[in-house]
Amino acid sequence: MFRHSTLRYITLALLTSLALFQAFTAAYFGLEVLTEILILAMLVVALDLVAGFGGMVSLCHGALMGVGAYAYTTVSVTLGISPLVAMAGAVALTGAAAWIIGAICSRSHGIYFIMATLAFGQMAYSWVFEAPIFGGDDGLGGIPRLDLGFLGIDLNDSRSFALFCLAALGAVYGAAVLILRSGLGRSLSGVMHNEQRMRALGLTVWRVKADVFGLSGMIAGLAGALAAQHIMYISPGLLAWTVSGEALVVVILGGLGTLVGPLVGAAAFVLLKHELSAITTYWHLVVGLVLIGVVMSRANGIFGWIEARWGARLDRRLADATRKSAPEEVLNDA
Amino acid sequence: MLETRNLDKSFGAVHVTRDVSLKLERGERRVILGPNGAGKTTLFNLLVGELTPDSGSVHLAGEDVTALPVSRRARRGLSRSYQKNTLFDGLTVEENLGLAAAVHAGHATQLWSDSLAKPEVREIVREVAEQVNLVPHIHARVSEISYGMRRQLEVGVALATRPLVLLMDEPTSGVGPEMSKGFHDLLNNLPRDLTMLIIEHDMDLAFDVADTITVLNYGEVVFDGLPEAARGSKLLKEIYLGSWEDA
Repeated sequence: MFRHSTLRYITLALLTSLALFQAFTAAYFGLEVLTEILILAMLVVALDLVAGFGGMVSLCHGALMGVGAYAYTTVSVTLGISPLVAMAGAVALTGAAAWIIGAICSRSHGIYFIMATLAFGQMAYSWVFEAPIFGGDDGLGGIPRLDLGFLGIDLNDSRSFALFCLAALGAVYGAAVLILRSGLGRSLSGVMHNEQRMRALGLTVWRVKADVFGLSGMIAGLAGALAAQHIMYISPGLLAWTVSGEALVVVILGGLGTLVGPLVGAAAFVLLKHELSAITTYWHLVVGLVLIGVVMSRANGIFGWIEARWGARLDRRLADATRKSAPEEVLNDA
Repeated sequence: MLETRNLDKSFGAVHVTRDVSLKLERGERRVILGPNGAGKTTLFNLLVGELTPDSGSVHLAGEDVTALPVSRRARRGLSRSYQKNTLFDGLTVEENLGLAAAVHAGHATQLWSDSLAKPEVREIVREVAEQVNLVPHIHARVSEISYGMRRQLEVGVALATRPLVLLMDEPTSGVGPEMSKGFHDLLNNLPRDLTMLIIEHDMDLAFDVADTITVLNYGEVVFDGLPEAARGSKLLKEIYLGSWEDA
C-alpha cells in the first residue's frame, strides 16, 4: 500500500512552501511558470497513478488532457454554459472516455498496452484536428476562466489563478493518495505485483484497471480544463502524442510510482525548459541527456535517487530519536 | 462438490489430459499422484479455468463452470495455490491475506475505504493467519520470512478467499522435512467441510492427509481409490511407489 515516508512528507512540505512563496512574491512571468508547473504536475500525478502503481504505461494521457480542455471550451464557449458546469462536465467526460480506453486496453500488456493507448490518443488528435466544431488546426480561443466572484476571488488575476491551481493540485494529490489507500488501490497494487494471482483470487482485473484509468482520466481532464483557462486558447497540439511522451519523461525523471517524485519532475522539467530555452533552441537535447543520465544511474528518478540515499537513514534516525526521548516505562510496556 | 467429466486437453501432438473424470464429495481430501509430466498441473489449470479443455466439462457444486473465466470460478468457491510461490513480495503477510479476503468480502474495488480496515476482512486475515501458523509474522514482508513460511502463506492466500474447494499444487515443494511435518498438521487442522484436491510428491503427507487417491499417468487416470488400496496396488508399486516403498 502507498505510504508516506518522512522524506516524502518533508518534500511535500518543501514543494508547497516554495510554490506558496513563488505565488505570493513572483511577478507575471514567474506566476505563469508556476501555473505551468502546477498543471503539468496534475497530469503527471494522473499518469503516475496508472503507470507507477498499476503498470499501465499510457501514451494517451496528453490526449486525455486535451479532451478535458476541448470539452471545457466547447461547453463554455461554443454552448455558452457556465464555466463551473463546463469544468465539471469536462472532468466527467474525460473520466468516462478514459474508463472506456482503460477497459479496452486493460486486456493487453506491455508494449501492446502502450501502442493501444497511443492509438486512442492519435484518434482523438485526428478527430479534433479535422472537426470544424473544434476549430481545426486554428484551435479555439476566448476561453473564460471560472468565475469565483461570489467568493471574492478574481481568477483573471494571475496570482489568484496560480493559487487556485495550487489548491487544485493539492486536492488532486490528496485524491490520488486516497485512491491508492482504498480497497481499489490495494487491488491495483496486487494486480501490478501479480495479475494472474489476483485473477485466481476472484478479482475482475480489467474492471480494477478500467476504474483506476477512469479516475486518472478525470484528473487529466481537470488538468486540461485548467490548461485551457490558463492559456485561454487551445489547439490540437495539446492532444499530440508528444505531450503524453513528455508527461512520461517527467514521471520517469521525477520517480515512477512515488507520487511525490512526479511533482519534483514537473518542477525540474518546466524550470529546465525555461532556463535552457533562453540559452539554446536545442534545450530538448539537454533534457534528453538528463533523462538518459537518470535512467542509466538505475535510480528511480530524481526523487527515487534521493529516497534511496537518505530516505531509510532519515526514518531510522527519527525512530532512534523517538526511542531515546520516550520515557523508560513506555519502552518497557512496548 | 467438484466434478470433471471426460476432460481432454492436447498441446499440438501432445495429449496431456485424457478423458479425466473425477468426482469429489463435500469435505473430501483427495491427493493426486503421478510422475513428472503426468498432467497433474495441467489438470489444475483446466479446473480453475487457466486452460480451456478441448472437450469435457468441469462442475462446481452441481453447476457447469466450464465456460466461466478464472475470476468467476474463484468467486464461486474454487481457489488454488501454486507450485511456485505467487505471492505479493513487496507486501506484508497481513496485506497478502488481506488482498484475498477483500475479494471474498466484496471490498476489493471499494474507493471510499481501506479494505484491510474492514472488520470482516480483518477477521478472515486473523483466522487464516492462525490456520497457516503465521500470526507471529503477520506484519513481516514476504521478503523477510523463510521459504517454508512463504509456502504456508501461499496456501493461506488461497484459503483467505474462503473457498468451497481448495486446490493445492505441491504445497510442500522445496520444503525441508521439519517444515513438511508442520504441513501435515496444517492440512489436517483445516475445516473438515473444506474439499481439498492436492498434488503432492511427499508420500508421507499424501497418505496422512488423503481420504482418496488418484494417480495420473500420461494424462490418464490409472488409479482412483482409497489410500489403503493405493498402498497395496501392484501397478502403483511398480510404476510410482516402488522407490518410496523401498526407501
